[in-house]
Amino acid sequence: MPSLQDRLRGKLSSSPATVDLHEIQATVLRYRPEPYYGTHILLHVEDARSGREFLRRLAPHVSSAADWWNATSAWIAVAITYNGLAALGVPKASLQSFPEAFRVGMAGRADQLLDRGENDPKNWGQPFGSGRIHIAISIFSDTEERWRRAMELARLQYHGMSGVDVVEIQDFGGQLGDLNPLGYKDSIGQPAIEGSGVDPLPGQGRPIKACEFIFGYPGEAGVPLAMPEPDVLGRNGTFLGLRKYQSRVGTFNRFLRDNAQTDEDRELLAAKLVGRWRSGAPLTLAPAKDDPALGQDPQRNNDFNYANDPDGKQVPLGCHMRRMNPRDTNMPVLTDVNIHRIIRRSTTYGAPYNPNALSERDDDIPRGLYFLFISAKAMATIEFLQREWINSGDFMALGDERDPIAGLQEEAAAFTIPKQPVRRRIHGIQTFNVLRGGEYFFMPSLSALRWLTDLKG
Amino acid sequence: MATEAAVKTAPASKQSPDLEDKLKKLRELYADASEISKSALENVIRDLQSGGTATVSAQKKESAGRIGARIGKVSELTAILPLRKGGAKRMRAFFETLHGNIGNQSVDLVGTVHDMRWVFLENDTKLLFASTYDRDWDPYIDDFATKIPDILDLQFGEVEGWPGVRNPAVKDFIVKYQIPAYFWYVASPNLTVVETKRLEKIGKALDEFLDKVG
Repeated sequence: MPSLQDRLRGKLSSSPATVDLHEIQATVLRYRPEPYYGTHILLHVEDARSGREFLRRLAPHVSSAADWWNATSAWIAVAITYNGLAALGVPKASLQSFPEAFRVGMAGRADQLLDRGENDPKNWGQPFGSGRIHIAISIFSDTEERWRRAMELARLQYHGMSGVDVVEIQDFGGQLGDLNPLGYKDSIGQPAIEGSGVDPLPGQGRPIKACEFIFGYPGEAGVPLAMPEPDVLGRNGTFLGLRKYQSRVGTFNRFLRDNAQTDEDRELLAAKLVGRWRSGAPLTLAPAKDDPALGQDPQRNNDFNYANDPDGKQVPLGCHMRRMNPRDTNMPVLTDVNIHRIIRRSTTYGAPYNPNALSERDDDIPRGLYFLFISAKAMATIEFLQREWINSGDFMALGDERDPIAGLQEEAAAFTIPKQPVRRRIHGIQTFNVLRGGEYFFMPSLSALRWLTDLKG
Repeated sequence: MATEAAVKTAPASKQSPDLEDKLKKLRELYADASEISKSALENVIRDLQSGGTATVSAQKKESAGRIGARIGKVSELTAILPLRKGGAKRMRAFFETLHGNIGNQSVDLVGTVHDMRWVFLENDTKLLFASTYDRDWDPYIDDFATKIPDILDLQFGEVEGWPGVRNPAVKDFIVKYQIPAYFWYVASPNLTVVETKRLEKIGKALDEFLDKVG
């Protein structure tokens, strides 16, 4: 597989790594492979001893972030829910040191996340929201063969073990061109992390303080974030959130066709919703038509700001990309864009995007995203994003408009495309991605993993 | 979110027995009230029953995040906080010298604050702070901490035990002294500060346009 270094054609410059890469799990820093294949395995721990025995067997196979920019192998990652930590026998004082939102889980925070209506946890599929998910194992790989080998390696560690049950297993990736379920290249534009060993990529902006993403380092406010106790458990760990979306491809395609006259117009509308063309080429750098070579090039596809586009005539103020990372947009609400960033490891599952799917039945064909996000304050950040940047428009002076891709649309919702002489407002935008499950996990360091396996009782 | 406008209620004669019951209880409670209150109450009930001003707002009062009231998109924060010795004197000087310019400019940037009031109570030993703002304040406190920490720390630094806006404990500190409003009236519950400014701009532009064509 091409490493990040290879993908950048060797143009990645290294800087001293001040975070402990040998302790941090690979998923925190390694970018999703291109192409990518993988599986999420969700497990339930019935018996603490079996659970710890499973982790003891698995631990040597869990990869660290060491040399992550050159890494080319498949990797295995592990993360544990609050119920999982309790089931493994983590002492009460330690459990209480975790933030409340983590302790009650994602379903328990539905009000704060605005997960209402169709997205309400009562509409989620099993096992989500049941409290039965304890451990998540994720395998990431660049080839089908290495994926199957890593998968088998992970499976062997729990196979036949009583007291550790699989409650959900979901393969992901393997899509032509790594397209997401709505047909776009995704996961472009990650935050740069201070001390992670490489300089920011073009357009990434200044590196963000490591403690925003990994426990035990300085944070953006200069004060270290309170971390889970004891120190060995918290340090070099982070939180991982998972949101499972079902993509309504029929509804999405109908929206594009109903609001565009020609194929070119349709693709331009698709680009205006996201801020990037299907290939990943940003509208800032390719305003008139798609430029697949640009979309493919990690040196260039994120290298822009909004200095010459204050009103969103190229990249609409309300599109998905600009909402999720407003960069230098002059916003009417005081916001520090560097403290609301997340590391995204988006994983597409199910049937590939079909541009000709138009029926309501197509909405129900299993396909969508296991959207993974990583941050030391993942719960607070996703609540902020859900409330302020996804399901509101106020921060961009867009009133009640919501994120066209991730938002939960209300009746008669609109999407505004700024242009000359007058803006175009499209009415009747629907929810294109419906939430079908979600959970919060703690992603421990490799030392913390060993500490967990050594627990007694 | 409930955004229905005020709805006209039916005359009291067709009112639910529930309202009749409530009015009866209200009268009982007011038996010991001042003559002014009693007479005013009877006038208002008469108006209500004749259908004259019988409108009730259907806009629901909700909770503004952890504590405080919210109506529509607008929330209130009311707190009574203890002051350090001499704190009120220092704060007056600060407001006099700096808040009218740099302080107000910082709050303008925040873009979600409708108003803020500082009132010194009980011989300058306590501070009544009251504010109207949009949606939630606590998701943004981290932004204040990195963007305008000094203004916040000058506004509240003389409160006994103020931990500093950068301190993660600051949210709990504020909540500890917060007293949710029992009743609250909001004229435009769906107008945020951002929306108000946008409408102001549109109004001006429209007037200019009409001046040109008229």
